[in-house]
Amino acid sequence: MPGAAERGSELSEQIEAFVARLRGGGERPRSEDTARQTMALLQKIIEHGRWGRAGELMDLIRTEGQRMTAAQPSETTVGNMVRRVLKIIREEYGRLHGRSEESDQQESLHKLLTSGGLSEDFSTPYPLLRANVIEAINELLIELEGTTDNIAMQALEHIHSNEVIMTIGYSRTVEAFLKEAARKRKFQVIVAECAPFCQGHEMAVRLSKENIETTVMSDAAIFAVMSRVNKVIIGTKTILANGALIAVSGTHTLALAAKHHSTPLIVCAPMFKLSPQDNKMVPVFLTLLYSRLIQFPNEEDSFHKFVSPQEVLPFTEGEILAKINVHCPVFDYVPPELITLFISNIGGNAPSYIYRLMSELYHPDDYEL
Amino acid sequence: MRPVGEAALLPMANVAMIDYTLEFLTATGVEETFVFCCWKSAEIKEHLQKSKWCRHTSPNTVRFVTSDLYRSLGDVLRDVDAKSLVRSDFILVTGDVVSNFNISRALEEHKLRRKMEKNVSVMTMIFKESSPGHHARCHEDDIIVAMDSATNRVLHYQRTQGLKRFRFPMSLFQSLIENVEVRHDLLDCHISICSPQVAELFTDNFDYQTRDDFVRGLLVNEEILGNQIHMHVTTEQYGAHICNLLMYKAVCSDIIRRWVYPLTPEMNFTDDKNQSYTHSKHNIYRGVDVSLGHGSVLEENILIGQGTVIGSNCFVTNSVIGQNCRIGDRVILDGAFLWDRVHIADNVEICHSVICDEAEVKEKVKLKPRCVLSSQVVVGPDITLSEGTVISLHPPDEEEEDEDQFSDDSGVNKMESKVKLKGYNKKDVGSEGRGYLWKADDKNEEDEEEQRQSLWGPALHSEEESESDSDLSLGSEEPDSRTASPQLDDIKVFQNEVLGTLQRGEEENISCDNLVLEINSLKYAYNIGLKEMMQVLSKVILEFPLQQLDANLDSQNYFSALLPLLKNWTPLFKNYIKRASDHLNALFAIEEFFLEHDSLCTSIAKVLMTFYQLEILEEDVILNWFSLRDTSDKGKQLRKNQRLQKFIQWLEEAEEESSDGDQD
Repeated sequence: MPGAAERGSELSEQIEAFVARLRGGGERPRSEDTARQTMALLQKIIEHGRWGRAGELMDLIRTEGQRMTAAQPSETTVGNMVRRVLKIIREEYGRLHGRSEESDQQESLHKLLTSGGLSEDFSTPYPLLRANVIEAINELLIELEGTTDNIAMQALEHIHSNEVIMTIGYSRTVEAFLKEAARKRKFQVIVAECAPFCQGHEMAVRLSKENIETTVMSDAAIFAVMSRVNKVIIGTKTILANGALIAVSGTHTLALAAKHHSTPLIVCAPMFKLSPQDNKMVPVFLTLLYSRLIQFPNEEDSFHKFVSPQEVLPFTEGEILAKINVHCPVFDYVPPELITLFISNIGGNAPSYIYRLMSELYHPDDYEL
Repeated sequence: MRPVGEAALLPMANVAMIDYTLEFLTATGVEETFVFCCWKSAEIKEHLQKSKWCRHTSPNTVRFVTSDLYRSLGDVLRDVDAKSLVRSDFILVTGDVVSNFNISRALEEHKLRRKMEKNVSVMTMIFKESSPGHHARCHEDDIIVAMDSATNRVLHYQRTQGLKRFRFPMSLFQSLIENVEVRHDLLDCHISICSPQVAELFTDNFDYQTRDDFVRGLLVNEEILGNQIHMHVTTEQYGAHICNLLMYKAVCSDIIRRWVYPLTPEMNFTDDKNQSYTHSKHNIYRGVDVSLGHGSVLEENILIGQGTVIGSNCFVTNSVIGQNCRIGDRVILDGAFLWDRVHIADNVEICHSVICDEAEVKEKVKLKPRCVLSSQVVVGPDITLSEGTVISLHPPDEEEEDEDQFSDDSGVNKMESKVKLKGYNKKDVGSEGRGYLWKADDKNEEDEEEQRQSLWGPALHSEEESESDSDLSLGSEEPDSRTASPQLDDIKVFQNEVLGTLQRGEEENISCDNLVLEINSLKYAYNIGLKEMMQVLSKVILEFPLQQLDANLDSQNYFSALLPLLKNWTPLFKNYIKRASDHLNALFAIEEFFLEHDSLCTSIAKVLMTFYQLEILEEDVILNWFSLRDTSDKGKQLRKNQRLQKFIQWLEEAEEESSDGDQD
């Protein structure tokens, strides 16, 4: 089949290009775009890949998924999408296999205990499976389209008139959320600039264009201003299974200040940012400063992303560079006890409920790709 | 886009340098790469064929062009032109460039310039801003550039070569350009965007060897050929060219400190399974299956390759350790660069040194800074290698192969038999050691310095890149060790040739135009710069009467013999003395001559007068020369010469008069 081979090489070129883009990571892609691109690629793999049985397909998806996630571990969305697709394949296979919806649910404790040994082998070939899976993925893509709007729609329930809202950096979700609220209510927004990349500036510009009263301030002023703030609303890169966040660096400071002043901290994030990966990231800077003695730690900072220190201290600085170490972390770990509420496209949830949502989204066997 | 690359296989943070170069090119959107190599081309080809660049999914098609005839960049580009490999703009890089630069903006500027003024700008050079004293600047590559700030045009380009003062042609500042910037805060990335004309120009000018020749030639002939060179300065992105071990060290540590992000080790951009690393705090990168003994400390900025075993109670900091190394107990590694399969026994101390593949260091050995152990060398036990020691398996007398010492396995095997014939010097390498001290015989201190420098310098040029004019490179720590220029002999020969030519011209009454032509061709044949040219010419002419009159003549005779000669050869001088710096150079040469010949001292004023009257030298420059303060004692004495002072006084008065006249 020369046509198939050609398509195959075209596909692997596309995957290669996607991996290269992830690796390059210069221009901070939007998570939603990454999610959609991953989905589209996976869809193509399912469409054109060589597989006959569900098991083969899952292996195929898993290997490609591993490649894609390894390219940029901090981009958890990719892995999440791969898990969603795996879950879809499982469901569709189960439906074709003649299992009823209920039997798949592992609701009761009894079933949880007994069903452990019954692993399926996914070896029966179903010609319909391909079409069904692609159909399901299309539905998922449609769902992705609407996530930001779904979150923004809840804005009026959380933002009231004359409130002072604080946010940090730039998040499209938060931007949409605030803009939606501004259509009906009048409130003030304070944006922490989020040095050294200062995405906060962009946020402020976009908000002020919508006639929202906006103030930009330096990150150092977060604590001082917090007493005036009614609510803190932030976005995040990833939500971990325990309800913790991997968010842009500076968020931890903000969350601690909010906790100190008992200001509610609301996180706006779509469901696809929910990642079942274990919390392997440790609060970085404390350990960076104090533990000079390290054995190979068990935890790997695989979520963590240190970029070129250029923004912190320019490379042109000269002699001093040989004598010092400069670090430029991109993300902070924010522990779940500092967070009041998550607002996702399916509604508001407390951090302690996240693990439950997780088990609905992904199959436990897929937590580790 | 079709860049030309030259390759290097030395591991840089455990990845071959050429991989960095290719990754840079691919990331910046290059679709086709030609790799030109002559030295070790088979290895390079094999390496690349195994790498991801030759997989069919690679967005960048890599092609090889190998030939033993490539001796320099010039040869390569002439070949490019002959085979007409390039028809559009291309990027020219060497195989040892590490960069995360995104070329697109520079390329756009380049294209725009070429569109605005058709085919005028032939090349855009990429520079990285980095202030003097920066650890990634090496003296070998240190440059001063004069640019037109409005158009980014390069007006003057010169290597500093450790000099403290610089001369710029006056024309630079007298031209119509409004703002001229002279910059010393730039690092040459050795990345240039070239138009196809570049290859043609190399063909037209067969004496161009390096890119420097090209740039110099183009700038000098700018008015004639009408070609211009532009530059692009980047502040944010990284780009460096590894030309010696000091640069190797600097760039390695920059990679580990993540300045070259996203080309960091844990990104595994080569897609090699053996190269997967995890990054943890303090910039510690660890490969698969690394084991660390009890009580060992990894402080910061460390890369450990796959399968390496480190014993207990070691201390490691700022180091790169290759794959499958064995490191004993209580070892201290500070700034050590260990390549693959290195064995290090207990109680070893290594400081700022490079240890190549499969070398072995026995117990209680101490390596002081800047040592190099080449492949398969064994040192120890119980020995301290002094600073800058270089040990290789090659007997020191085989210099022609000394480049092979790096990572050349086949060469080493071949050498094995020869090595057996000669014993190893136990004093140098220890009682169980194997290897020879590299080229360090009974030479004086300065020579050793030079050798070491040349290793920390261009011995790492694994490639043909024959930068013959910078063979004696220097490390950033010894700025004045560059004493004699390698061209000295050439200048001597050149001087004799010029003398011969002039003699013939005098005897056969050849016209000055033809003399100029002959001297010009000599100048190119011996690759003599304008400055040396000036000095030689002045000297030869002043010495001319001495030879005719069998020396030992008084100043009166001398001058009367010289005068007709000077008159005859006025056009000759005028042909070469054009810029202010030429005037000064000529004056220096004259001064030098009279210092050497004390007896003739008195006639200096007359000679200068003649030069002035013949309008070869201008009064400003003579006054300027006279008032120079930092001359030697002899020079000061010379300036006290009565006649000379009178002459100067006369000149000053003449000038005042003329300026008065202007005012009236």
